[in-house]
Amino acid sequence: MTKKDMNMIDRRDVMKGTAAVAGALLMPATGWAQAAKRGGTLRVAIPYNPGAIDPMTGRNLTDFDTLYAIFDGLIDFDPKTLDLKPCLAKSWKFSDPKTLVLELVDGVKFHDGTAFDSEVVKFNLDRYKSDPRSNVKADLSTLDSVEVNSPTQVTLKLNRPNAGMPNILTNRVGLMVSPKSIKDAPGGNIDRTAIGTGPFKFVSWQDNDALSVVRNQDYWRKGLPYLDGINFKIINELNTAVRAVVAGEADLAINLQPAQKAVADRSPSVIATASPSLVLFGAFLNYGKPPLDNLKVRQALNHAINRDEINKISAVGLGQPSSAILPKEHWACDAANQNFYKYDPEKAKRLLAEAGHPNGLEIETYGWADQLAMQRQEVIISQLAKVGVKIKLTPLAPQQAVQAYMVEKKGSMFISPSSAYPDPSQLYEALFGKTALRNPSGIELPGFRELLDATMEAQEQDKRKAAFVKLQQFVTEQALQLVQYISPAVSVHSPKVKNHVDSLLSVPKFTETWIDA
Amino acid sequence: MSRLPALIGRRLWQLLPIIIFATFVVFSLLQLVPGDPAVTLAGDYASKERIEEIRKLYGLDQPLIVQYGVWLLHAVKGDLGKSLLSSAPVIELIAQRLPNTILIATYSLIIATLIGVPLGVLAATRVGSRIDTLVTSVASLGVALPSFWLAIILVANLSLGLHLFPATGAKPLLVDPKGALLSATLPAVALAVGVIAELARQVRSALIEVLSSQHYRTLRAKGLSPMSMLWKHGLRNVSVTLLTLLGLQVNRLFSGAVVIEAVFAIPGAGSLVAYSAINKDFPVVQGVVLVLVVIVIAVNLAVDIFNALLDPRAASS
Repeated sequence: MTKKDMNMIDRRDVMKGTAAVAGALLMPATGWAQAAKRGGTLRVAIPYNPGAIDPMTGRNLTDFDTLYAIFDGLIDFDPKTLDLKPCLAKSWKFSDPKTLVLELVDGVKFHDGTAFDSEVVKFNLDRYKSDPRSNVKADLSTLDSVEVNSPTQVTLKLNRPNAGMPNILTNRVGLMVSPKSIKDAPGGNIDRTAIGTGPFKFVSWQDNDALSVVRNQDYWRKGLPYLDGINFKIINELNTAVRAVVAGEADLAINLQPAQKAVADRSPSVIATASPSLVLFGAFLNYGKPPLDNLKVRQALNHAINRDEINKISAVGLGQPSSAILPKEHWACDAANQNFYKYDPEKAKRLLAEAGHPNGLEIETYGWADQLAMQRQEVIISQLAKVGVKIKLTPLAPQQAVQAYMVEKKGSMFISPSSAYPDPSQLYEALFGKTALRNPSGIELPGFRELLDATMEAQEQDKRKAAFVKLQQFVTEQALQLVQYISPAVSVHSPKVKNHVDSLLSVPKFTETWIDA
Repeated sequence: MSRLPALIGRRLWQLLPIIIFATFVVFSLLQLVPGDPAVTLAGDYASKERIEEIRKLYGLDQPLIVQYGVWLLHAVKGDLGKSLLSSAPVIELIAQRLPNTILIATYSLIIATLIGVPLGVLAATRVGSRIDTLVTSVASLGVALPSFWLAIILVANLSLGLHLFPATGAKPLLVDPKGALLSATLPAVALAVGVIAELARQVRSALIEVLSSQHYRTLRAKGLSPMSMLWKHGLRNVSVTLLTLLGLQVNRLFSGAVVIEAVFAIPGAGSLVAYSAINKDFPVVQGVVLVLVVIVIAVNLAVDIFNALLDPRAASS
């Protein structure tokens, strides 16, 4: 990339950032301001207890059900497109591929009254990167150091180019926590009492029962949020969560499965929605040992499964059948790759014969033991059986299956969903990187690393997309995973809940949600 | 009667070894189940190195006996530790959730006793009649009905249909007694059905045995009124069986609460222990088991005391 290219990027980025700032500032005054009503407490049913409300020590995607209510990110994102938007950083630019400069919003206060500034950014990023309890060190593996230039400007020095860093700063490591709250807490443990700058203040959390937040009256984005507060009710059983909305005991239930949409659709008093997400249903393949070290066997598996049928049975037809790991709505996806492996049992048999398995083969497989997973697994098993592939399935609780397949490296295949990541480079690294937990083979196929690095070196989004398309093509052609479908994000809400958006990342934000009382 | 303090003393002495044995067995079983809490703690973003770090950080790399010893040492001092998953103090978790489970179990036991015992008496005093056939048939059905299915049917009709009861949640009994009882009614009924059936069947057969005994026949020959005989001699003789049975039902209700709490989204001890066991959050599982063992022993002790009061021979056995 030439210097001229870099300068163009800077100007475009700045223009994009400025436009987005204007948009963000105008939004409350235009789009929803006409109709939006202030007040009311939203009752939200969520299926999982948060791992922690400290972004550093939480561990699951579903922690974000509550995190974005309490914390602001350095950078925000559009829930539908994942386009970046300003937040605590009003603009950002790469001055070179290894230097990212953030301009911060002035005058922001944490819920404890302390000020947000560049020292806070440095404190938080250093903590995320080096604290022994940090679960997010990997997100900052390319961060070398943080330099404070002025109270409203910081520079992130990277140890290698990582154009995905702004995307990463929308996620856990971009969420700013009050340093005072950490210093005041015994042992710096704020797992249950974190303080942010977000639209809502944390009030209380009863484990696996309820978590509540109230409106931050001094929120720096004037006029927001609309709600007086949110009561999160943790209901593990998804059908019970739907019943809570139908009975009027909750206003919204999120993180549901497609089957719950079908159930909720029968009730005229609620609205059920299904929208695209990055949650992927597939099977991890151990391509480091027989029989899946053979490309033809992996390709045969991909031709042997009927993705449409799996989607219809497991996702009530609401998912996106795909042989690629990103949904077509994602900016880095080449939709052509989604249909790369067409359902072709005859071709699958031919490939197996060419791979030396004319009479079929047996694959030791792990899977989840819950009812929905078993249903999906049975469909896959019966489809693969038609081409002579016998699946020897061991269904286990998710954690136990992870332990068996990923840690103890047992079996050759693991049927399991994958989580969403803010930058696709993280997803590819987490699935196929040499040291990735989800890659028990411990190997990277030749060419993978170069293609992944290219996605992090390219700066402009269209160039990044081109690099990701090549990477996606490589992963799909090499059949590194047995992708089945991309899951929809399903939620059910009362008609009085307005402006709730199910994001592509499956992480809700309630800043602009309101209740039509 | 003078043997009662000795009985209580014996039971209390048994408490310590039982607690140590029960918690050690549960701890060992948790370790036998495949899976590593460090994997859960590392979460969606885990790397192999991070899992290793977590094992060291939480002492999960220590030998099992050391881990158990550390837990026991703290437990003796009254510190049940913190949840591995959420860092919440275990004692706080139990204090928040146990009252909900106790309320449902007690409510359920009361309903079951008020319905099951009269049904058993009715059937026993009319052996071979249509009423007897009806009670025994309904009791068989009650034993066979899965409580979670019944719970869903109750919610669909009485909560979502008629809006008579809340479909989910629990309210604190001391803060909102009416709301708490309303919320607990459907879960208690769903749990009670099996117990009603069990009580009706057992009371029926125990009472039939008493009613056909020589002693009872002698009383009848002496010309005592049937009601007086039933109350003074029939039911008093059955009461020991009934008390023992009720004690056993308490254990059944606590285990049944695991499923019912999930259906009604009740934050109780059952769902807490199930969630924690699946995720191998052993400090929480150990803490809840400890408390449940104490409750079960206390209930058994209460049953023994009542039995001793009703039948002094029981205190010496």
